[in-house]
Amino acid sequence: MGLRKRSAVIGAAAGVAAAALAIAGCSSSSSSTSSSAATGGAASNAATSGASSSASGPASLTVWRMGGSVPSQVTWMNSVVAEFHKEFPQYANTQVNVKWIPWGNRTQDWNNALSSGKNIPDITELGNTDTPAEAATGILAPLNSNLSSWSGTKGLVPGMLANDTQSGTTYAVPWFGGVRAVWYRTDQFKKAGITAAPTTWAELQADAVKLQNAYPGTSGFDAITNDTNAFASFIWGAGGQIATQDSSGKWTGNLTDPKTEAAIKYYVGLYTTAKVSPSKYIGQTELGNAGATSGGPNEDFGLGKLDMYIDGPWAKATLPKNSVDTANISSFPIPSQNGPNPAPVFAGGSDLAVFKTSPNQQAAWDLITVMDNPANSTSFAALSGFFSPYSAEITASENTGGPFMAGFAKAALNGQTAPLNAKNWATADNGKLNIIPTMLKQLMQGAPFDSTVAAANTQLANVLNTGSAS
Amino acid sequence: MVTSSQNRPGTPSPAGSANEGPEPRGPRTTTGRSVSLFPDRSFQQRAGIWIRKRGVGPYLLLLPATAVIAALILWPAVQVGLFSFQNYGLMQISGVLPTQWVGWANYSQILHDHEFWVSLKISVYFAVVVVPLTLIVGTLVGLLLERLGPKMRMFVSVSAILAWATPAVTASVVFANLVGTDGGVVDWALEKLPSWLGGGAHWAGYSWTNAALPAYTVLTVMLVWTGFPFIAVTVLAALRTLPSELHEAARVDGAGPWRDFWKVTFPLLRPVFLVLALLSTIWDFGMFTQAYIINGQLGNPDQYNLGLYEYAQAFTQPPHYGVASAAAFVLTIILLIVTVGYVRAAIKQGALA
Repeated sequence: MGLRKRSAVIGAAAGVAAAALAIAGCSSSSSSTSSSAATGGAASNAATSGASSSASGPASLTVWRMGGSVPSQVTWMNSVVAEFHKEFPQYANTQVNVKWIPWGNRTQDWNNALSSGKNIPDITELGNTDTPAEAATGILAPLNSNLSSWSGTKGLVPGMLANDTQSGTTYAVPWFGGVRAVWYRTDQFKKAGITAAPTTWAELQADAVKLQNAYPGTSGFDAITNDTNAFASFIWGAGGQIATQDSSGKWTGNLTDPKTEAAIKYYVGLYTTAKVSPSKYIGQTELGNAGATSGGPNEDFGLGKLDMYIDGPWAKATLPKNSVDTANISSFPIPSQNGPNPAPVFAGGSDLAVFKTSPNQQAAWDLITVMDNPANSTSFAALSGFFSPYSAEITASENTGGPFMAGFAKAALNGQTAPLNAKNWATADNGKLNIIPTMLKQLMQGAPFDSTVAAANTQLANVLNTGSAS
Repeated sequence: MVTSSQNRPGTPSPAGSANEGPEPRGPRTTTGRSVSLFPDRSFQQRAGIWIRKRGVGPYLLLLPATAVIAALILWPAVQVGLFSFQNYGLMQISGVLPTQWVGWANYSQILHDHEFWVSLKISVYFAVVVVPLTLIVGTLVGLLLERLGPKMRMFVSVSAILAWATPAVTASVVFANLVGTDGGVVDWALEKLPSWLGGGAHWAGYSWTNAALPAYTVLTVMLVWTGFPFIAVTVLAALRTLPSELHEAARVDGAGPWRDFWKVTFPLLRPVFLVLALLSTIWDFGMFTQAYIINGQLGNPDQYNLGLYEYAQAFTQPPHYGVASAAAFVLTIILLIVTVGYVRAAIKQGALA
């Protein structure tokens, strides 16, 4: 009796084991096939249909915009399209479709469009740091011949156009620029007894402490780890560099230079010793977790839990609806180590480009010339707290932006992009390796300084030179 | 011939009878006779006879499942295997550049990648902690269920199964909110705890997700919570097949519950435990969904396990599908080695022999 029962148990076990092996097969191969499955499913991702060209012009043009739909920008786009139809009668019947792509999805969506050949945009907006990598990837059409005959070309800020050019070929045109600065509230500064915006690191830290004392339970500053675009200002503000390229094109990491190390020590110390930044910001961007589109310091600032933080003027759009006080928000440029001039800031912004596989190359370019002419690009920039890509318009706008924009306008005069536009920067910093964010995070969590920075420096140079860490 | 006839009584299963050689003679002569008696039988009947004569029945029955597995798992796996030896990226997918064979370069890149070893370490530590924990909790609940009355047993099993049935994404989002820095109930409760219990103000806004240790602690609790019911129910099912005489005999000999479990229950259930341990290892070692959500999507590489590492290779810019495929195969090979180890142990136990 006992024996028979035992054999029943064994039989059951064998059955479960067979099931186990079958499930094991499922489990392991579902992970091993993830890449092909996702590329297969990608085709269904994009929405608007591609255009078919006719003699008089394409039936429709698709423009990919980044971010979430903003009503004022939709109105702006409608007026641009009306102008486009008027200026180019051959496109009078061409419908322009705008598709909004969340920033976090942009590379995936470009990759899907390129690899599937379906649901491709004719024009896409790109972050200016995306342009070198995407041009190298081959998703952008060269624009040299168009640019040489366009009236707008001459007035563009030369540095912005250079960012879009690789070995003589230009793949995109700058559409607007944007810089980060420190956000604060004038009423809080008053209560904390701060009379002038800080212009040195020491003052910034002291003011953060004052604000924390005046507003118990809040944090003075946001020493987030995952926004190298903002952290770069501290390195540059100490006279250091992230990485530099010699004349032969070889990159050298500069993280272990004394000036750069001073910036790293100061920034990490905002959390570890000055205690003006909460631990939850370690590993976060200004919008919270890596893939989040709202939250983090941006939300905390709006809710009055954070007294100062670094962001661009565009971030007003993501402040929470129940923000405590938006009337007193103001800005000052990120201070340099010893003042009095502000630290250089990362010159961010967006470009417009023609998608390489678009069947409507000429029509797409013609629409870009309307979207990006001096009048339209300037009115667009004014809508969203950006700067025009035209030198003359930037100079003109410095006096017209109001107190909130003043800090940004001041900062914009001192912009730097390299090495954040290096061809392999995306591998180094955007998700795949996050070299500098991971270094800052580990230092804040107690890793030994010298070896951690040295390891990050080696990795950074390897990636910038070869595109891979090993 | 003699040996096969001797073997025949030992293989009374339907699978054995369908094979041509050892097929019992009786039925075949019956069908043979009936052919001559009814020459006008239908196509289905004739096909049935052909199938029985050739012994292809089992294979025909296996065919649909095999075809589905081949199409959905084997073929993609073969493709992933090919990609893993290719320089396969965006340019290759879109046809801008031709695909190049790169030999073992992708594998060598992974094995020389510091991040790979970090993520492997995290995956191994995680499995080493979670698998035994799940088994212990599951077994304890299984033993408890056996002792409960029918109503209570139903109540406890349904509650447990609800945890098991919670989809991974749902459970992860719930746990991410429980440990959230703004209004998460865990931080709130720890803050309220008296200081002699480890509570206090330093828990306010404590981030559970920005370092590997706290993040994988949360994941451990979550995976034990979602994993133990399956163990408990399986152990309960196995326990109920055990003869009560053995427990009675043990008790008569003076064994308490502890000795009874280790001397009677555990040895008899060892094959079941082996299988459950294998399953848990595969689930926990290859975990992706939960880690992706709790870590706040990809975040920083010092918090990757193998699943996140592999995903990051393929789906961050620029995409390295070849390297990711190689990483997927490395993960598969590790799991195969683990599986073979368990199966060997099971065979030694006589469980699968």
